[in-house]
Amino acid sequence: MKTVSREISSWILRGVYIVFGMLLLWQRPAVAQQYNGKELVKAELISDVSAIEPGQKFRLGVLYKIEPGWHIYWKYSGDSGIPTKVEWHLPPGFKAHDLQWPLPFRDKEPGDLEVFAYNSEILLFTTVEAPNTLPPGPVSIEAKTNWLVCQSLCVPGSAQLKLDLGSGSSSASNAVQLFDKYSAQVPKPLAKGIQAQFNRSGKNLEISVSGVPNGEALDFYPFPPSDTEVGHVSRNGSKRFLSIESEPKPINQIAGVLVVGSGDKREGYEVSGAAVPSTTRNLTGSAGLGALLQALGFALIGGLILNVMPCVLPVISLKIFGFVSEAGERPQKAFWLSTAFALGILVCFAVLAFVVVLVRATGAQVGWGFQFQDDRFVVVISCLVFAFALNLFGAYELSVSARATHGLAELASGQGYGSAFFQGVFATILATPCTAPFLGTASAFAFAQPSWITFVVFMFVGLGMALPYLVLAIKPKWLRFLPRPGNWMVRFRQFMGFLLIGTLLWLVWILGQMKGADAIVKLGAALLLISILAWIKGSFWTPVSSARSRILAAAAMCIAVLIAAGVYSFVTQPSQLVWQRFTKDSLEKALASGRPVFVDFTADWCLTCKTNERFAIDTPQVRKAFSKQNAILLRADWTKGDPEITEILKDHGRAGVPMYLVYPRGGKEDQPTLLPELITSQTVLDALNKS
Amino acid sequence: MFGKLLLTCGLSVAAAGLCLAETEIGKSAPNFTLPDTAGKKVSLADFKGKYVVLEWYNPDCPFVGKHYKSGNMQSLQKEFTSKGVVWISIDSSAPGQQGNYPSEQLNAISARDGAARTALLLDPDGKIGRLYEAKTTPDMYIINPSGILLYKGAIDNKRSTDLADVKTATNYVKEALDEVMAGKPISTVSTRPYGCSVKYSSD
Repeated sequence: MKTVSREISSWILRGVYIVFGMLLLWQRPAVAQQYNGKELVKAELISDVSAIEPGQKFRLGVLYKIEPGWHIYWKYSGDSGIPTKVEWHLPPGFKAHDLQWPLPFRDKEPGDLEVFAYNSEILLFTTVEAPNTLPPGPVSIEAKTNWLVCQSLCVPGSAQLKLDLGSGSSSASNAVQLFDKYSAQVPKPLAKGIQAQFNRSGKNLEISVSGVPNGEALDFYPFPPSDTEVGHVSRNGSKRFLSIESEPKPINQIAGVLVVGSGDKREGYEVSGAAVPSTTRNLTGSAGLGALLQALGFALIGGLILNVMPCVLPVISLKIFGFVSEAGERPQKAFWLSTAFALGILVCFAVLAFVVVLVRATGAQVGWGFQFQDDRFVVVISCLVFAFALNLFGAYELSVSARATHGLAELASGQGYGSAFFQGVFATILATPCTAPFLGTASAFAFAQPSWITFVVFMFVGLGMALPYLVLAIKPKWLRFLPRPGNWMVRFRQFMGFLLIGTLLWLVWILGQMKGADAIVKLGAALLLISILAWIKGSFWTPVSSARSRILAAAAMCIAVLIAAGVYSFVTQPSQLVWQRFTKDSLEKALASGRPVFVDFTADWCLTCKTNERFAIDTPQVRKAFSKQNAILLRADWTKGDPEITEILKDHGRAGVPMYLVYPRGGKEDQPTLLPELITSQTVLDALNKS
Repeated sequence: MFGKLLLTCGLSVAAAGLCLAETEIGKSAPNFTLPDTAGKKVSLADFKGKYVVLEWYNPDCPFVGKHYKSGNMQSLQKEFTSKGVVWISIDSSAPGQQGNYPSEQLNAISARDGAARTALLLDPDGKIGRLYEAKTTPDMYIINPSGILLYKGAIDNKRSTDLADVKTATNYVKEALDEVMAGKPISTVSTRPYGCSVKYSSD
């Protein structure tokens, strides 16, 4: 019996040892995540002191050593990834301040994704205050951290860390320099003189920065509230734009870091998003009563001006004479005939307003938003305004088909109020070739307005157009004040074209504010296309041109549009390669990685450079080769004549751009391959494959 | 003549609008056609009249793994496909990148996981991913029977790879679908997605 119980107890003991051993193994202080046999992130809890006194302030941090090529994330990770998390487990009485985040790097990933991350090594730290009384013995501090470490794929990781500090009298540790180094990298409050202001404009948050010396690189790393989704920061001069892609609560300011300078000389400034009253740039102006009255006033005047057009003015006196003679002995009848005529005009305008509202409503169903904050809307209106201006200048004419108005002509013939009404409609329609540019422009702008405003404004335009008839019918004697039709009407019409060009200029300015110079150039190209189309129409598709001429004109216009579309999509194809900015430092870093490096010295005004980029570098074969060899692409932008780049060009015996340096795998800084100025894809591939 | 010009103007405006299709909440979700793992071509337009959920997928991403290993994604798929919702997973990983597998292997993974989705579509050149601006896996989109985009963003509110978080998280997709199918407005219309980046090619 005793032997059995001893055996059992020895087995039990063995079992206990095994379980205990397993538990011990699981209790490893730092759980190392292995990937392909490598520990991707080594985390260590360190302090700038090795022993502390009561009441002392000291720094505590987690030091991450990250495998080259991999990164962990900032407090805002960007488009993907997860921010690194640190949780302190301090003994009772100890207080920890906010976690300090040194300035991260902005990394771009394929698919236009942007993340904010740390690579190789980083210290996330805080200041801790010891209580005024310390228990005897060592102070045991713990921390838990988890992270996501990514290269092209991601591996989550975590660590349970411990650090023991002596207590009694303070003594510094040998990590002080590390703390000082990373402390210097933590963004500071905004320096004197530098100001950052926020302005909300539609979907965009505009960050205006002042007080930064010209030429200094400027960047903004946002730190949006947890569920707000933001896009990438884009530039326009000294302004930065951040598009807010989704906001559970509307915001007009955002916290973040303003980054001045580049490479190792970057300085980060903490921006807390000081509030600026939200000025939504509503360009069409919400209709305050004053603005509305102003609009109606302009509408009325606009309608009056329509009467001066070559298609309209001659008709006025004819009509008045007609009404007066029809009225005969009863002058009031002339007025009422005129009123019927005016009604005809107003009905036309009502129909036009209705069509605009209908198209707008249908468009909204399909998902079009007609707003001046939408750059596409501005582009479309600009094109329409320009097309109409060309019509006013006389580049081409619009005409009303006789067949369409035939039925109307019948109704309008004859006497009586009914005929007068239809004459009003008829006259308005016949006036279309002259009034279309104005009404077309007005319609286009009306798309951005609520329906009732559209109706009211158009009614007032109609009223303005009908006014002469109403007035002159009462006082036919005033007909002598009516300007006599003549060539001056044509000149006046042409002059009105300049008004539309003025409107176009205003629209171009809006587009420039929204999207920058590139958008203006693209609009210019679209306007060029419109000019060509207008010329074709004006020369070959007129009421007196033959059917053959018209068909050829239609074909030519279609071809022109197709060519333009093709050129546009070709030219605006974004570079599918990911370029980093070239500096001496970035080149060194790139070469240190052992990967092949390709440096492109280019400038925006250099046509050869752009041609090479489009036809030799940004080609499928070269892209594949870059991707296969994991090449680093550096771009040196000499558009503004950077002196550092000028020097390097000189070093290689070149006076200007383009210049291409290829460092094959494991290449040295002084042994690049220099490519000729005109290159082909083959040239690039050959240089890459040389080893 | 003027009428014809107006018509042409209108058509070109229409064309411009369609060419510049964007993914925005409240607007039409752009149509697309992609092959499924059996090679059959599937279009979004095929499902007009039904709710459609788009789930950006990468079987090797630990965030996707969190939802599949815990059974969360599969149970969502089962629950909603049985209510007539079309659940489409899209794999936009480029060749050579994480998550890009031949169809047979993807089918095997789906079978192993017990996925209950309507279709798994392959988008190796990332065109549709980029069209929808899908940033992470998972990245979720909900489209209503008329083709309008209702929700875009994260699958739930616990941004982690920890399986335990699935139970305590608010699942935005389930919440939105429950609300909209009961005729109520969606309370959370768009959130910041979390996950691994979609493995687009550098091409």
